[in-house]
Amino acid sequence: MTEAVVDYPQCRITPLRMLKPDSAEALLNEVVKIPGIRRMMINGPNLPRTVPYGPARGKPNPNSNRKVIMVGGSEFELRVQVGTMIFEVLDDSVTEKIRALCDRFFTKFPYQLQTGKKYMRTQPTVADYAKYGPDVDPNLIGLMDPRNKEGPVIIQGR
Amino acid sequence: MAYTPQYGPGTSVVAENRRRQMNPNVELDKVRDVTDEDVVLVLGHRAPGSAYPTAHPPLAEQQEPDCPIRKIVEPTDGAKAGDRVRYIQFVDSMYNGPSQPYQRTYAECYRFRGIDPGTLSGRQIVECRERDLESYSKWLIETEMFEPALTSIRGATVHGHSLRLAEDGLMFDMLQRCIIGDEGVVTYVKDQIGEPLDRAVAVGKPLDDAWVKAHSTIFHSLVGLAYRDDVEYIEYIQRIHSLRTKYGFMPVEE
Repeated sequence: MTEAVVDYPQCRITPLRMLKPDSAEALLNEVVKIPGIRRMMINGPNLPRTVPYGPARGKPNPNSNRKVIMVGGSEFELRVQVGTMIFEVLDDSVTEKIRALCDRFFTKFPYQLQTGKKYMRTQPTVADYAKYGPDVDPNLIGLMDPRNKEGPVIIQGR
Repeated sequence: MAYTPQYGPGTSVVAENRRRQMNPNVELDKVRDVTDEDVVLVLGHRAPGSAYPTAHPPLAEQQEPDCPIRKIVEPTDGAKAGDRVRYIQFVDSMYNGPSQPYQRTYAECYRFRGIDPGTLSGRQIVECRERDLESYSKWLIETEMFEPALTSIRGATVHGHSLRLAEDGLMFDMLQRCIIGDEGVVTYVKDQIGEPLDRAVAVGKPLDDAWVKAHSTIFHSLVGLAYRDDVEYIEYIQRIHSLRTKYGFMPVEE
């Protein structure tokens, strides 16, 4: 039996330009100060550690965008170029606070803030079930890529 | 009456730019200078200054069959010398890149000899004899068919042509082959397959927004000119679509 899942509102920030690590760090550090954010995900194109295809396959891929950043006191390495940020929030007032923050933050180029409920999964898929079993932590559903060997980064917040 | 090629339909600036690139009688503006060594470094096929490896002996030293076509067609310098066949591959951003795969192939077929272009949705590769390739590549990089931020030389791992640009205006590159310095100059720090170069190769500063829009060959309704705004182009494409659809039913001319 699947337990009833509470659908929290979600929102997604899409800046017109993909963010550099420094900008992403600055924005996320402001966002984590807003109370009421349950979960957060950063999306974007992958920045692999090694060259994935071609004659140079397997060789190291030095990339200044794959950088360790500090968010809310937790240090982690960006694995993607930051394209979109998805937040699951407790209620719509939190979304409005995020919108106000973005209005202040994005001055050089515009951004789009979309609201809805299905930007990240809230129920396990078959792939989730196969990999994590029936007792997976519901807070992690939608945050983990079942194909990826690296787990999610846990930022405790304040 | 002698046939005069039209190269393409359209009344917009995008259509005109396409015709300019394709027409071999038009001399494209030279926008930047790169040295022969720079080109060899970015291509990554041989070490700068080394001899060209060969695939066969020079044509002058080998017996050629008695063939009328060989008498008509003058071989290129690379073919004469027996060079290997090597490649260069370009990726152009959809955000007003100065060219695009089909456009590159058309332009190269009109302007170059002895080439084998490969056209894909997000990248365009051209193969030819190595010394021909180097001269063609130099021309492709120096003229208005290249824009440092919106065009990229990528032999492999090409993903990025349709993505949003990065904050600094560069097209996304998983391998970060080129970077933009503090002075705004784009430099290649890796060759086209992603191996680090011994020295960086500068390809100049990204051009301003007005230049980019004026030289674009891509219709884009959000950042440039919408396709539907070029009525003549639409009319042409609808005619082609109509004719090939009717041909599918094998019409009989009466």
